[in-house]
Amino acid sequence: MTPVFVDHVGVALGGRAETVEEAADGGRTRSPAAALREAGFVRHHVCERGESAYVLACRAVQPIRAALAGVGAIVYATCLPHNGNVGSEAAFRDTRDVKHLMDFPASRLQADFGLERAAVFGLSQQACTGTLGALRIAAALLRDEGGIGRALCVTADRFPDGALYEQAYNLVSDGAAACVVSLDQGAFRLLACHAITNGALSLASDDEAVGHYFAYSHRLIEETLAKAGLTIDDIGWVVPQNMNVTAWRIFARLLGIDFERVAFPTLPEAAHVISADNLLNLARITEEGRVQPGERVMLVMSGFGLNWQCVILERT
Amino acid sequence: MAGAILVTGADGYLGRLLVRRLLDSTDVELILAVRARDRAEMCAKQAGMAATLSGGEGRVRWAAADLVAEHPFADVDPAGVGAILHSAAVTRFNVDEETAQRVNVDGTRRVLAFARRCRRLERVCVVGTVYASGLRAGPIEETALDDSAGFANAYERSKWAAEQLLVRECADLPWRLCRAATVVADDEHGHVTQQNAVHNTLKLLFHGLLSLIPGLPGVPVYCVTGELVVQAVLASLTAPDDARIVHACHTREESLTLGELVDAAFGVFEAEEVFRSRRILRPLFADARSFELLAGAVRGFGAGIVSQAVGSVAPFARQLFVAKALDNRRLRAVLPAYVAPDPKRLVERTCADLVRTRWGAPALERPA
Repeated sequence: MTPVFVDHVGVALGGRAETVEEAADGGRTRSPAAALREAGFVRHHVCERGESAYVLACRAVQPIRAALAGVGAIVYATCLPHNGNVGSEAAFRDTRDVKHLMDFPASRLQADFGLERAAVFGLSQQACTGTLGALRIAAALLRDEGGIGRALCVTADRFPDGALYEQAYNLVSDGAAACVVSLDQGAFRLLACHAITNGALSLASDDEAVGHYFAYSHRLIEETLAKAGLTIDDIGWVVPQNMNVTAWRIFARLLGIDFERVAFPTLPEAAHVISADNLLNLARITEEGRVQPGERVMLVMSGFGLNWQCVILERT
Repeated sequence: MAGAILVTGADGYLGRLLVRRLLDSTDVELILAVRARDRAEMCAKQAGMAATLSGGEGRVRWAAADLVAEHPFADVDPAGVGAILHSAAVTRFNVDEETAQRVNVDGTRRVLAFARRCRRLERVCVVGTVYASGLRAGPIEETALDDSAGFANAYERSKWAAEQLLVRECADLPWRLCRAATVVADDEHGHVTQQNAVHNTLKLLFHGLLSLIPGLPGVPVYCVTGELVVQAVLASLTAPDDARIVHACHTREESLTLGELVDAAFGVFEAEEVFRSRRILRPLFADARSFELLAGAVRGFGAGIVSQAVGSVAPFARQLFVAKALDNRRLRAVLPAYVAPDPKRLVERTCADLVRTRWGAPALERPA
């Protein structure tokens, strides 16, 4: 199979940081602050007024702008579908013209960053797993279409004003992340992608989502490893989403891996950055030099829909 | 029987089954001891047992008896009592230490003290639990137990302590002890009129709220019917002295393992379109530490369904790692017609009943 590489990660968080206590006092959580602290959260980030998901996307892409030369595709994932439109609802209501509902951020990004050759793809129905879906689509495009060469994957979400910033007992942050998927040698070789969707649970409650978490995540990982022809012992690092730290203490035991190999160092300060967690954490452990050449990193994500996705990378 | 049979906890699950069977199979008078704070509560309980007592009203007397009171049987003439069936107990696995001690231990002590005042007493039979063996693995004989292995919860400890009252302090009484396994259904048809932690766990699995359960899949799970327990208790009334303690249970070979039980349950659940369409996966088995972590993590998030779900399983979680080999030779001796049911079929029928009723409110008066 043609090798595909992942590299050049950029991230951005909502402009206003607040502690879990401030979030709870502000009515943005269901659970008490103490429970969220116990789960590992210290603070989260919310957008300032006027700071849109697209603004976050641009801030995530800006640091990796130099790596975007020759990008032939943009895969732009949003967890919340409304973040896939930067148009004005008010303009639609005034004009009844639906083009105001199709003002796509991926198109804006293409123009704003001068990526004229890039075809754009939007991904809006995989919730928090969208980034891993974007990697999968990008890899498939690169492998199947000779002329693309490299793709920019972006995820960006902000919750609407007034929203609760707690989902399935996790504290949420507005944020964005971006990376480049390329046929050129990069920091990580992409070994396998896999997804499971259970549409019958698309309206699962938080409790149902939690209830299904372990069994489905376990199946996801088993199937991904099988796809890659690997076993869990071949994985050096597991990079999950920023969620209750105890869940992964448990899951590490179920998988038979040392919890020290589960890396989500941004959890306390960044909280669950919707679909951007894996890239945030991957960037951090790479910066810290924790991933050695030849080590494999498993990115794991679950989200509403219900969706589960997993990607295995290998450090070059 | 020279006198009446006093049944404690007569309005409880096993109490009702015992009363019904005694009415059907004997002509002895019954004194039904129930906990009632006042006349109104007593009337309500009497009304609630009308179906159970159908046809036997003339043979029944009632006594308000709260086991935590200093003299719970003050209204009962000891001279008229020929036997006592002590089925009253707090049986919740999550009962607190103090309540378990007050009801299950001190309450039993009061029953035994009353028994000593019954001059015509031929038998006092205490309904216990095989889980008085606590966390002891391996063979569990129908003999007195020690507490060296510890217990999974306060309920188990209290039932063991109640047994000790019999074994150590009641040589002067004609006592019998019937240790029951986990009652999953009234009978081999799988009818369920009383739900417990097992049924609650099955409910959580059915609704996809529990993808992690504690335990080892190879650990045997001892399930029985209420019918078997009733037979065993009543047989204890006439059991010889070498069968003072009997186990109302089936053997390891006649029981399912935890993994087999889950598979049997899912086999039934998956026959339901509503369950199948939701693609609920079979749970993973977690080690004890993992489940403790889970229980601790969800506790902080209050009274949500997941918290309740995990909280309902946690008190007996440790038992699901302990492979016991229960003996029932004495039961077989006092029940010559004993035949163990097909354990898989019993679980399947029980699950089918639960699914059919959707774990509805307990229908205690449902005819057998």
